[in-house]
Amino acid sequence: MNTSPSIDDLLSGLIVAISDEIVPNLADAKAYATASMMQSVLQQIRQMLPVYDAYLVDEHNGMTRALRDTAAAIEGVTGPQADRVRERASTLGQRADLPATPDRAQIATAHRELGESLVATLTDLDVLQRAGETRADVALDVVRSHFGPRFQRDVATILVGAGMVGRG
Amino acid sequence: MEQKLVEFLMRSFPDAHEIVIEGLAPIPGGYSRETYRFDALVRWHDREERLPFILRKDPPKVVAILETSRAIEHDLIEAVRRHTKVPVSRSYGHEMDASTFGEPAMVIARMHGNSATSDLFNGGPDEHQVDDVIRHLCEILVELHMTDISKLDPYSSLSDPRGVGIDTSSWDTYMESTFEYYINSYPSIAYDPSTIVLLDSFLTLRRNKPRPLPLSLVHGDFNPANFLYQDGKATALIDWENSHVGDPREDLGWMTTMDILSNTDVMSHPRDEGGFLCYYNKLTGYNITPDEIDYFTLFGTANIAVPISAAISRRIANEHQLFMHLYLMQPSTGAIPNMTRLMKYPEFSS
Repeated sequence: MNTSPSIDDLLSGLIVAISDEIVPNLADAKAYATASMMQSVLQQIRQMLPVYDAYLVDEHNGMTRALRDTAAAIEGVTGPQADRVRERASTLGQRADLPATPDRAQIATAHRELGESLVATLTDLDVLQRAGETRADVALDVVRSHFGPRFQRDVATILVGAGMVGRG
Repeated sequence: MEQKLVEFLMRSFPDAHEIVIEGLAPIPGGYSRETYRFDALVRWHDREERLPFILRKDPPKVVAILETSRAIEHDLIEAVRRHTKVPVSRSYGHEMDASTFGEPAMVIARMHGNSATSDLFNGGPDEHQVDDVIRHLCEILVELHMTDISKLDPYSSLSDPRGVGIDTSSWDTYMESTFEYYINSYPSIAYDPSTIVLLDSFLTLRRNKPRPLPLSLVHGDFNPANFLYQDGKATALIDWENSHVGDPREDLGWMTTMDILSNTDVMSHPRDEGGFLCYYNKLTGYNITPDEIDYFTLFGTANIAVPISAAISRRIANEHQLFMHLYLMQPSTGAIPNMTRLMKYPEFSS
């Protein structure tokens, strides 16, 4: 998967394109309003994406704690309602905390660093191959064996339909 | 814009007493030039004629995918028109002064024929014509490739049209200088390490040069979107901006790539001749092998990938804000499986 452009770069590009390339050609006030709403939702997605996984984990762990603390607060209370609160605290409330999600920016930086080192490796292998070093051919296959399945996965993830949008 | 077009066309019709521009409208599609269609009503004292035109305009430099010259394109298509039977629009001249149309531009005749070539494939309404159209398209390409380069490019403007140091004094120097251009371009086109597949292709091409063939004028963007057709004939070959002196197998390789990306099937026709390559070989005697087509599919992909990836890189670096360049990443990704197959990545070699 590529780290540049990031998902945020693509969303930001969409917001700009709506302003620069679509809105000036809209003749209808309702279409203009819809375009503005699209930009607003795209900005919402930009704001949600960086924190989404972390917030879900944080909220998951907070909810188990809340279930337990709620039951503790009604300790000694009797009746079916109180029993159900305690039942939830003793089942769902006992779930283990989910691990914190790694920081996406950190992952992207580390990923990029390794990607660039493999680019440099490819260049070095080429020099060895042209010098007749056949073991470099084998080494190149190792690099390609890593990237081949990755590229296939990227294509399956990124491509939308066949053909090129906007051409005849 | 209409008034500027009138002034421009008056140069070609000096005897006309009036020219009226009608229906000026942008044509969607085409990723490199901005194109507009319009009709010109040309009035002389004793008659009038309605002529269909296209204005091909450069985009602003920073968003350009291919930096090419409208003056060179004008000279080429006029030479093709004069020296071959390849159907090509007449060019009515170029205006390199950006103050006229906003950017350098040229005006060409709008050719007749259907530009929606996808109608020929996948159960489209013109599928019954596909063999005849593609047979003719192949004959056109052969004529282009077999025409003396000096007739089509008398001033050697197309030896190195990108100005990147290509040396066409022989097939070998052409190939070597092209590899150098690809490889030296890599740092400026690598917007992400995943573009490693491009570098791999450049280095693989250099390590595996095929047998030479005579250099020729190649169209440079011979693809399913760049011809028109009607009644079983190709009526025009369009978009000559990437034309250059090169190996004729480049056009065959690029069509192979674009067939995949465009979901078309040009290379399988004409079926009664065994497909495009067999018919091309029959007409030229070149005996080009499928392996050579594979090589030049990769070569042609590299040729277009360099400027496209450079344009994507400039967009990602926020040198401009045009959206198309972000979209282009998607079809570019679609080209990767074919590239890895051609380079015999391990999962394809068993």
